[in-house]
This record gives sequence, structure tokens and C-alpha cells, in this order.
Amino acid sequence: MNDHLHDEESFTSQKIDWNVWKKILVFMKPLKKYAIFAIIFMILLATTDVVYPLISKFAIDDIIRPNMNGADADLSKLAVFIALYIGFMIIQAVSVFMFILFAGKIQTELAYNIRKEAFHHLQELPFSYYDRTRVGWIMARMTSDSRNLSELFSWGLIDLTWGFALMIILVVVMFIINWLLALVVIVLVPVMALVSIFFRKYILKAHRQIRKINSKITGAYNEGITGAMTTKTLVLEDNNYNDFDDLTGDMRVRSIRAAMIQGLYFPTMLFLITLGVALVYVVGGNLVFQLTISVGTLYLFISYVWQFFEPVNELAMLYANFQQAQASAERIVSLIETEADISDSPEVIEKYGTLFDYKLENFEEIIGDVKFDNVSFKYNIGEQVLTDFKLDVRAGQSIALVGHTGAGKTTIVNLICRFYEPTNGKILIDGKDYKNRSMGWLHSNLGYVLQDPHLFSGNVMENIRYGKLTATDDECVAAAKAVEAHEFIMKFEKGYDTECGEGGSRLSVGQKQLISFARAILSDPKILVLDEATSSVDTETEQVIQVAINKLLEGRTSFIVAHRLSTIVHSDRILVLDKGKVIEEGTHRELIKKSGAYHKLYTNQYSEEMLELSIR
Amino acid sequence: MEKLDIKNQSKKGILKTLGTMFKWMGNLWPLLIVAFIFLFIVSYVRTLLPLFGQHIIDVILGFSDGGTKLPAYIARYIVADTLVKELIIAAGMILILAIFRAIFIFLRRWISAHFGENIGYRLRNKLYRKIQNADYYFHSHSETGDLIQRCTSDVDAYRRFVAERIVEVARLLLLVGLSIWQMSKLNTDLTLISLVLAPVILLVATVYFKKVKKEFALIEQNEANMTTHVQENVSGSRVVKAFANELYEVKKFKNLNRKFTDSDYKLIKKMAFFWSSTDFISFMQYCLIAVFGIIYASRGVISLGTYITFLAYAGNIIWPMRQLGRVVGDFSKTTVAVNRLEHIIDNKDEYDDSEPNSKPKILGHVKFKNVTFKFDDSNKHQLVNVDFNVEAGETVAIIGKTGSGKSTLMKLLVRILDYQEGDVFIDSTSIKDIEKHYLRSNVGIILQEPFLFSKTVEENIGIADKEVQTDRVENVAKIAKVHDDIVNFEKGYKTLVGERGVTLSGGQKQRVAIARMLLKPKPILIFDDSLSAVDTETDIQIRRALKKEWKKSTVFIITHRITTAKEADKIIVLEDGNIKETGTHDELIKIDGLYNNIWKIQSRIDFQLEDGEDNE
Repeated sequence: MNDHLHDEESFTSQKIDWNVWKKILVFMKPLKKYAIFAIIFMILLATTDVVYPLISKFAIDDIIRPNMNGADADLSKLAVFIALYIGFMIIQAVSVFMFILFAGKIQTELAYNIRKEAFHHLQELPFSYYDRTRVGWIMARMTSDSRNLSELFSWGLIDLTWGFALMIILVVVMFIINWLLALVVIVLVPVMALVSIFFRKYILKAHRQIRKINSKITGAYNEGITGAMTTKTLVLEDNNYNDFDDLTGDMRVRSIRAAMIQGLYFPTMLFLITLGVALVYVVGGNLVFQLTISVGTLYLFISYVWQFFEPVNELAMLYANFQQAQASAERIVSLIETEADISDSPEVIEKYGTLFDYKLENFEEIIGDVKFDNVSFKYNIGEQVLTDFKLDVRAGQSIALVGHTGAGKTTIVNLICRFYEPTNGKILIDGKDYKNRSMGWLHSNLGYVLQDPHLFSGNVMENIRYGKLTATDDECVAAAKAVEAHEFIMKFEKGYDTECGEGGSRLSVGQKQLISFARAILSDPKILVLDEATSSVDTETEQVIQVAINKLLEGRTSFIVAHRLSTIVHSDRILVLDKGKVIEEGTHRELIKKSGAYHKLYTNQYSEEMLELSIR
Repeated sequence: MEKLDIKNQSKKGILKTLGTMFKWMGNLWPLLIVAFIFLFIVSYVRTLLPLFGQHIIDVILGFSDGGTKLPAYIARYIVADTLVKELIIAAGMILILAIFRAIFIFLRRWISAHFGENIGYRLRNKLYRKIQNADYYFHSHSETGDLIQRCTSDVDAYRRFVAERIVEVARLLLLVGLSIWQMSKLNTDLTLISLVLAPVILLVATVYFKKVKKEFALIEQNEANMTTHVQENVSGSRVVKAFANELYEVKKFKNLNRKFTDSDYKLIKKMAFFWSSTDFISFMQYCLIAVFGIIYASRGVISLGTYITFLAYAGNIIWPMRQLGRVVGDFSKTTVAVNRLEHIIDNKDEYDDSEPNSKPKILGHVKFKNVTFKFDDSNKHQLVNVDFNVEAGETVAIIGKTGSGKSTLMKLLVRILDYQEGDVFIDSTSIKDIEKHYLRSNVGIILQEPFLFSKTVEENIGIADKEVQTDRVENVAKIAKVHDDIVNFEKGYKTLVGERGVTLSGGQKQRVAIARMLLKPKPILIFDDSLSAVDTETDIQIRRALKKEWKKSTVFIITHRITTAKEADKIIVLEDGNIKETGTHDELIKIDGLYNNIWKIQSRIDFQLEDGEDNE
């Protein structure tokens, strides 16, 4: 099984895959105008960054220097200075405000679109997808990956524009003012870039390792907490602690190592810049002495050396982030492009509408006959489960499926629900291949009650209404009453407004079952699939559930993966399955008389009741 | 489950929290002092650099005769016969200082990494220990997700604060302080002017970061709502599909997605305003310094070099203000984290010094004497005056409704819970006088919902003994009747269990847990309803195999099954915490009591089987 699960680490290719990025870029299309504005304001901002030192140079060369030899200071040009300065301050503040707004819009809307598309697609994916994909994997796509990408395309875009714009403008301005000093400064830039990329790569790698260990530590805490009682009963405290210590020890070593790399990176860059400053002082000082440049120009170049630091640093970081985001992009594309291997044909969609837009006017009334016509089935991985399976069920009949684990009971149920489709043969509903009608049609006429009922967070009323979204409160209450759930619901302080908790965690198993019955009966399906619970509830709850099940089955074609003796006994037909074949079929009475497989299963599985009979 | 209340704790004084934070540093605090010393060196060297500019412009290039502002111990080396040589010496000095500074930056980071990572390491281990040693009450009143969050993100918040934030504050304060000191030596008026707007920025930043915390909380809430929806949709995909509610799910997701996106963008808008306005104020400050500097320099009050130096220092003061504001604003976040961690750290261990360390030989005689128990937070007694006696080697079945106290009774025997009145004796020693680990090594309890670790099946069974042989593991797996299941897995005993591996059925889990417990012989063994998901036949087989292996062991079985109870040497019937009946099966069915009643209900199913007599 494990090999088929999507693995986090299987998406860490190093090469840039433009195909993937093209697919992500599609999401950017509607946001193009924001991106253009963001870029414009970023270029404006980069310009102001270059202009400020120029204004200071003006102050030095045109205000301070002329005054230095005179007696009275001539400050007439100070007004020009102030006007220029404040003018650019305003431009700068506006640019900052605007670029954050636009980048923010890109970030949030891009993430929104990716999540929307992914979720939409998830609804279309067949059940087999959920069978082989961990919830956590999907969750990570919806949260961290969409965030990574949206941040890259917003703030990354900003950094990219600003970094390049600033460097280009700086280089141009420097060359215009003095090419020799410009060369002195620019020589250092490639060195800084190489150093940055080198370090960034290692930092990224180190952080990836740390994150991996970190998730192991989180996992260990999870086990330590959820398994606390088991640990105590087996006296495993020291054992577990030593395992944990290995992890945290590893984390410490690697984190310190990562900090070392980072600790080397920053001083190295700083040294390179200082080297630039020193060079500019030597060369520029000479030029000032030779009267080739003014002292303001010297000041200007010293400022500009420092200004190279940030764009180089940020571009290197962006490069690293881009590599990291590639994995996110690949994973999201893989989710969105997962083909639904079970879907309605174009003709069916034409007639019945999509999953999200039913053409209810074309939905035929269902009768409830179900027929398996030489159905064969095997899961993508694994053995053949059903071979030439035949079954003819008339509307209103209840069918109990019994047999050992692996006999094919759940598979039959999965096929009826069209969670999977037959690999060969057909399933006919009211005499028509169910593939010729839409999934929406089938599911609006089908009820499904799970072994371990899944409730949603929200209150009891909302959970019942999930069976029929248009139902009124009264209808929901009536449904609850019909399956004997009303009584215990009313015992809650808040009655139907009681919150069920995530996955129904605040309710007991028995309560969850009854609510899921109410939900099913509300949808009033013609075909009902009941995957009966094996988990034990106390004897009295058991009885209530029994009564409820009987009500639920009334007047519906039903398929029951049965574990309760009384459910089996009450059904119209019992199918005894073994290795995908019906080995016996009939009513309880008929099968017992046969003294065959059912009899054996019955005496083994339900010997509890048998023993009690013998006592009597 | 109730949420752990942190409200009252967070009202504690900041000083006390700081004290706690210091306490957790343990003997590592000297590292922090060393880091501060290195920081001082780094910051001091940094504030020397602008003075070189002054020296080069004023002294070497001769723009002023006011002399150098560099400390004499540096200035005296920058003397040569030519200007070029002097420039080269000055540049060389700059580089030497840069190397010196780089080395200390690296050393400082190295020490900080050691400090921070060791603190994190110790705290993580300590928390793990604490959680393992915490009692039943603690675990039953905590939510796993909440605890994990404390152990991961709260630890990170604390570690980051003491190892990074404190150092960051120190660095900024040193930089600001030393810069002011250097400036004040140059010109007092200008120094004062440099400080006019700095406090404003600090204030704005502090207020802003405090305020947006609420915004962050809202975003987190909205994101949690959205991810919960995805989580439930994915894990409940069968239900979604079976009720054909895809459209509803998509619409609901769209709302939540939109809400999260909008709240995120709202924060970004605030960010845009904050960053642009503080940028504006910062440049206003620059402008002020520049204007006054120009006037002073023009009038000859300060030299040109001094003016340029001032501009450099101004940056050292202005830019740190926003960061300082951020740290101050974030402080309360750390306080909350620390308080949340304290809740775990200060929790009393289940094993403490007052525990006895006597380890008497345990044979298996168990005596409950007038035992009364209630949970600390409840008024209702779970067990009242429970009194019974079990000889070594006997098998006892405990039967009763959900909530009758069966499980509690058994938890007392292994001291997962401690009784308030009466006493429990094993071989005439009170269990409160027996060392807890030793007691639990001898009294094995298998819980109803056992926890398996995410290791292989083999490792899970052999978990209590790391040197265990494979054939021993297989042997106990055979007794627990799970061997056949295991060899049917693709990877047999090497099959990985849990989240990343195969999902075992409830019955398989229970049987693996039984095998695990059987690894080492136990004089007393408790099945806490731990055969509930195993079918009756297997149940019987396991119990018989066990009886054969462990003849001398005393066995307690909590069960719903009459078949199980019937074979016990003694049956204890509990109702509302009282022992209602004791005796053998044959004795109890003669009394018109609860046992008889349960027996009748369980057999009622058989009244429906008129064919029953055909079978035997």
C-alpha cells in the first residue's frame, strides 16, 4: 500500500520545469493588471532609492562646498534641496503603499484561485483517489503549497523587479557619473552574487533537513500523547524517551550546522561590501585629489556600494525560494491534473448536467431494481475481487451480504455507489446501465450509511439536513424521530443546536450512528446501502439501533454489509460470499436448513447466541 | 474535553514570566552574556566605520582642518608621505576591522545557535518527559492538537525569543546607543535633532504590531475554519458523494475561502499603510538631519566629513526603531507561549519522590477492600465501597453497562487512577506501597482502544523488549490469533502500522495489543474490553490459548459477552459503581438481577430464530 501513496519527498526535482510553471501561470492571468501596477511602482521605488544619494550629492557639491571658503553662508539652494527631498519622500511613500496593496492582492487572490480550483477538482475525483491519498497530503497542498506559490508570485515578483531595476539604474547612473569608479563597484557584484547563491543553496538544503526532522518530532509528540496510556501500561517511558532524544539530538546538531552556514554567509557578504567601500575610498580618494570627481561623487559611490547588498541578497534568496516553490508547483499541478477515472461521459453530462449543475428536469423517476450483469472487478493494485458476478434485485428487496473479511462485500457496496466502476460487465438500475445516467442522478436516489459514521462539524440539525439540503427544521426533526434519535437529542442541553465537534467527536458512537440514520432517512433514497458497524455499543443502545435500522430499511432496495444477526435474519435474501462468489443464497431459514457455509458461519460468528440457546 | 485555561495565567506579571524564561535557560545563561560581549564588540567596530569617511575626507583629502574624529589608536597609524599611501593604509584598516567584525559576527552567531538550540533541545525533551509522566487526569483533559502545538510552536516562540529576539534587541540598543554616543562627540545639537522623530517611529511600530495581533488571530481562525472544511470534506468524501452534495461543498468552501482571503488582504492593507507611513517619518528624520547638517556645515560649525558621518549614523538610529517596535509588540506573544508551556512543565508528575520503591514478589492474589473513587473534577462517585477478593490464577469477568465503572475499577489496579478511600492489596501488599513501574510491569492491562506505534508489526509486538527474538514474537502473535492475519500482509511482520502504513482493523489492533502484552509473563492480566472487536470464536480461542500458556496468572476480563462471562471462575456485575452481584454464571442466572437481564436481552435475538433447535 505504502508505495502507492503520494509522498512528500517524491517532488524535489532540481531542474526547473517550465511546463509546470506555465500551468501555474494560468492562475496569474486574471491578476495580470495587478502585477503590471506592482511592477510600475516597484520601478518607481527603485528610482527613488537611487535618487536620494544624488540629492545628498547635490547638497554637498552645490550647497556645502561653495560655502566652505566664504564667510557668509549662501543657503538659497537649500529650498531646492528640501523640495526635492520631500517630493521624493512622497513618491516613495506612495510607491510603498501601492506596491504592498497590489502585491497583497496578487498574493491573496492567487492563493484563493489555486485553492478554489483544487477543491473543485477534489469534488470530481473518484473515491479511488481518496483511497490512496492521505488526508494530510491534500491538506498540505491546500495550505502550505498554495501559500508558497502565491508568495512567490507576489512578493517574489516584487523582489525580482526591485532587485533588477535597482541594480540596472545604479549601474547606469554610476557609469554616467564616473566609469572608473563604476567598474570598481561592479566588479564585486558577480562575486557577491556567486557567494549568495552558493550559501543560499546550502541554507535551503539545511532547512529542508530540519523541517523533515521537525515533522518527525511532531509525529513523536503525537504518538507520545495519543499513546500515553499505552506507554504507561507497557512501562515504555524510558524506551520512548531515548528514541525521542535521538530525534531532538539530531535536530540540535543540524540546526546548529544550519546556523553556522548562515553565520558565515552574512559576514562574508559584509566583508565583500566593505572591500568595495575600501576600494572606492582608495580609487575615489585619488580621483578627488586629482580633481577628476567632486567629494559629493565620492560620497555618492560609497552609498551606492552599500545599495548593492540588498538586491543581491534578495535575488539569491528568491532563486532559492523559486527552487523550493517548484516542488509546491509540481504537487499542486499533480493534484489539479489527476484524472478522474470515474466520470460521466459527455453525452450523459449533456443530458443530466454536471456534478455542480444538475438538469433535474431530465432526471427519471427511479424504481429501484438493481442488477449485476456479469460484473468483474479488480482494484488498480491487487487481485481480482469479483469475477462474472451476477445478481438481480427487485425494488424493495433487502439483501444481506455476509462472509469473511475480503470476501467482496465492501467491493459490491462500492460498485453500487459507483465509488468504483466494474472493470467488466454492467450494473443496471431499472434495467439501464448506470453509466448511462449521471452520478448526480444515482447519488440523489441513493442513501449510504457508514460503518463508522462520519459527521461534520456543525450542529445536530445541520448534520441531519446534510441528507437533504432543502429540508425544513420540522422535516429534520421528523427524520430524527423516525429513527429514534429525537429522544437522546432532546436530552442535550441545546437539543438540535448541539455542536457535534470535528468529525462528530463530541458524540458517542451510538449517537453518531443514529444521527447518520436520520440523515439517510431524510434523503428518502430508493436504494439504501448500509455498512453495518462492528464496534460494540452497550446492549440497550444496540436495541435502539436495531429498531432504527428496521425503520430505515422499510420500502427500499437495500444492501447491507451485515454484522448483526437480527439484521441478517430480517433481510429478504442473504448472500453468502466467499472470494468474490456467491456460494449460498436464500432466506435465513432456507440457509440454516442447508447446513452449509452459512450454517457454519452462523454457528461460528454468532455462537454467542447459539450458546445461550443451548443453555435454555 | 475542556480547553486548558490560560487566561488567568497570562495575567501574571511580566517580571514573573521573565523569571521563568530565565529559569528555563538553566546553566546556559553564561552563553548569553558571551553573546552580548561579542555583540558589543561588533557594534563598536561598526560605529567606527563612518569615522573613516570623516578622516579620509577631512584629513587625508584636506577638506577641513578640524582634525580627525577617529580614535587616536587608529588615527596614529594612518600617516604616510603620500596621499595615496595614506588612502591605502586607511582602506587597509577598514578591511582589517571588517575582518575583525566578521569574525565576531560569526562567533556571536555560533554562540547564539548553541544557546538557542540547546535550550530548544532541553525544553523539547523535558516536555516529552513531562507528558509521558503526566497522569490520567492531565491526558483526559488535554487535546492532542493543543498539546502538540505547545510542544512545537510555543517552544519555537520561546527559543526564538531568548536566542534571537533578546539578542536582536540588545544588538539594536547597542547600535542606537553607541551611535548616539559617537554622534554626541561630534555635535550635540545635531545629535538631538537626530532623535526627534525616532521615538515616534518606535511608538507607532509598537502600537501597530500590538494591534495587528488581533488581526492575525482572526486570519488564523478563518484559515482554521477553511482547512477544517477541507479536512472533513476529504475524510468524509464517501458521505459527500453518496448524498450528491458536491455543489453544496463547493459553495461552502468558496465562502470560507473568500472570508479567509479577505481577512488576509485586510491585514495587508494595514501593512501597506504602516510601512509607507513609517517610511515617510523615517525619511522626514533624515531630511531634518540633512537640512540642519547642511546649514551647520555651510556655516563651518561642523566639517564636511562630519556631516557625511552624521548621515551614516542617522541610519543606525532610524531603521532599528521599527524592528524594536516589532519585538516589543511581539513580546506578549512570547508571554502567552511561556505560560502555555508552564502549564505542562509545572504539572505534577505521576511518579514523584514520594513514591515508594518497594518491589515485592507478585503472585496474583488481588483484594479490593471498600474502595471508593471519584474523579477530582466530579461530585459523583465512580465506585462506591467496592469489595471483592480474587485468588491467584482465577479468571474474573466484569460485566456492566457503559459508565458503570468497570474500566475505572481496572485502572485503579494499575494505578492509572488512584482511589480515595479503602485499599487494594496484591498478595497482601497495598498497591500504593509498590513502585509504579514495577506494578505495571507485573499487572498487564490491554486497553479497549489500544495504541499502536508507527513501526512495523514486529517492532510493535516486541516493543517491551528490544532484544526479543523473531520466533518469540511469532509465538505470542499465534497465541493472540493474529499471526495468520500478519503473514497475509504483503510484507508480513515487516508491515508498517499506522498513518504511513497499513490501517489495521479494530480487531487486528486489539489482537496485536494482546500479543504485545503477552511478550513478558505477567502474574496479573487485564482485558479492558479488549476483545470487543474480535469475533466470538476467535475470542474463545485466544482465551483458551492464553489459559494454557499462563495457567498461574490471574485474569480480569471486562466484557459485554455472556459467552466470555460464562467461562469465568467469577463474575462481577457492576451497576453505578456498586457491585450488584458476584458469582458464577450458573449462580447468577438464577438470581433475578442485572446479569440475568443482560442475558435475556442478548438472547432475545434468538427468540426470532424458530429454527435454532435445528442446529444442535
